[in-house]
Amino acid sequence: MNPHTVKTYDEELHLLDKKIAQMGGLAEHNLGQAFDALQKRDPRLADLVIVADHTIDVLEKEVEELVIQIIARRQPMANDLRQIMAAMRIANDLERVGDLAKNIAKRAGAIADEPHPKPVISGLGHMVEMALKQLKLALDAYAERDAERALKVWQDDQQIDAMYNSLFRELLTYMMENPRNIGISTHLLFGAKNLERVGDHTTNIAETVYYLVTGKPIGEERPKSDTTSQMLVQQGDR
Amino acid sequence: MDMSTVEHAMLTPSATSAPASGTKVTARACNVYYGEKHALKDVSVDIPERSITAFIGPSGCGKSTFLRCINRMNDTIASCRVTGKIEIDGQDIYDPALDVVQLRARVGMVFQKPNPFPKSIYENVAYGPRIHGIAKSKSDLDEVVISSLEKAGLLKEVKDRLNDSGTGLSGGQQQRLCIARAIAVSPEVILMDEPCSALDPIATAKVEELMDELKANYTIIIVTHSMQQAARVSQRTAFFHLGNLVEVGDTRQIFTNPKEQRTQDYITGRFG
Ligand SMILES: Nc1ncnc2c1ncn2[C@@H]1O[C@H](COP(=O)(O)OP(=O)(O)OP(=O)(O)O)[C@@H](O)[C@H]1O
Ligand SMILES: [Mg+2]
Repeated sequence: MNPHTVKTYDEELHLLDKKIAQMGGLAEHNLGQAFDALQKRDPRLADLVIVADHTIDVLEKEVEELVIQIIARRQPMANDLRQIMAAMRIANDLERVGDLAKNIAKRAGAIADEPHPKPVISGLGHMVEMALKQLKLALDAYAERDAERALKVWQDDQQIDAMYNSLFRELLTYMMENPRNIGISTHLLFGAKNLERVGDHTTNIAETVYYLVTGKPIGEERPKSDTTSQMLVQQGDR
Repeated sequence: MDMSTVEHAMLTPSATSAPASGTKVTARACNVYYGEKHALKDVSVDIPERSITAFIGPSGCGKSTFLRCINRMNDTIASCRVTGKIEIDGQDIYDPALDVVQLRARVGMVFQKPNPFPKSIYENVAYGPRIHGIAKSKSDLDEVVISSLEKAGLLKEVKDRLNDSGTGLSGGQQQRLCIARAIAVSPEVILMDEPCSALDPIATAKVEELMDELKANYTIIIVTHSMQQAARVSQRTAFFHLGNLVEVGDTRQIFTNPKEQRTQDYITGRFG
């Protein structure tokens, strides 16, 4: 893209991208580390995540401030306008991802001393992997202004939903096996729900990138397959 | 055929296509030459009635030239030659049988620099209706003057000094006086060439508010160098570059998602 006649304008837009990239990197890192803390039963690692989340919050404030400044001083138009609105929305989503990672870290601390159900933990592990892969793809799509890749991320969110559904079912069964399992299962269930929410924020980012690049909304309603809101404990589950 | 002609052919009605309904002004394959200089190149566009259309583009791209085609002001420039077709309500305005004085009553113009006559405020507005025989009596004329000043949003400020000289008003007031003068002859189309470039933000806001009210009854075309002004006041925007009409579309679309790279570069401040 051609540079602006006013060079400082380009510098401000680059700064915005840099901050988003920084936020994205931190959000990915914290999410991965939150799961590590859970899996390794390491409350110290969990605390690190909780502390590091503050940096994401600060960056989000900085992005917001910069966006307001650019709107006030430069009256952005067309792709510039889309770009700064995109930056603001993505910063919002990344801040939420940070919060969700922090929440997982807190739960990791809470259940560090409990016996872990192996299959559920490994299911969560796959979900984290998938969530991280999706987030990375969405952030790459942003960095490279790649609408195709954004669309792919948007479509693939279904896979995270499917993983969540199956973990939900598994945890219900585990709880029914022994009421003593209910405490830890509830924490793990919220953990899974958090990851499902990360997937939704990632999807938002993909939508934003798609609009940024094409100037058009991403199209029909997103395929959504989190069906747990209609799930009940069935006799047969026992 | 170079790229610009290809884009152009896709974006604007072809030289033979029928105007869209609700169209006030239709230009087809309009070219303007000043001697050897080809200032406007093959412009075809439909201007919708009762709405505001903004012309934007870098200095020298032909905005004023095209605007002047619409009331045949270019006729007054000796070296100037216009080809192609311009119609208002389907009537060819370059038809030799057409009365140019009549045409200019239908198509009023407001210029960049407010240019009131060195006469009273009253006379500035009364002049047009008088020469076009619009008012039959003195009281008719009074009524036209008062209602034009009212519509131009100036009456409150000048009603106690209608006999003072128009040149004694502030710049913003003078510009609204010129707008009152333009609407006094009940034009159908009002052409405005950078009408706010000499005005402060408050006077500018008043003129913009006025344009917004006027668009209920008039077709307005405004040339402006302020992207924000074009975005604020117009429903459609046309972008000119080097004598070509590069892109024309809904103002909302042009300023959020222009189709052409040149439009995008211009409105985001990435030009040359
Ligand atoms: N009377 C004239 N005689 C010769 N050339 C002219 C005349 N008027 C305009 N031109 C030329 O025609 C081209 C278009 O001029 P025009 O005044 O239409 O530009 P514009 O888009 O209105 O620019 P600006 O934004 O500076 O008012 C320019 O290259 C200009 O030099
Ligand atoms: Mg001009």
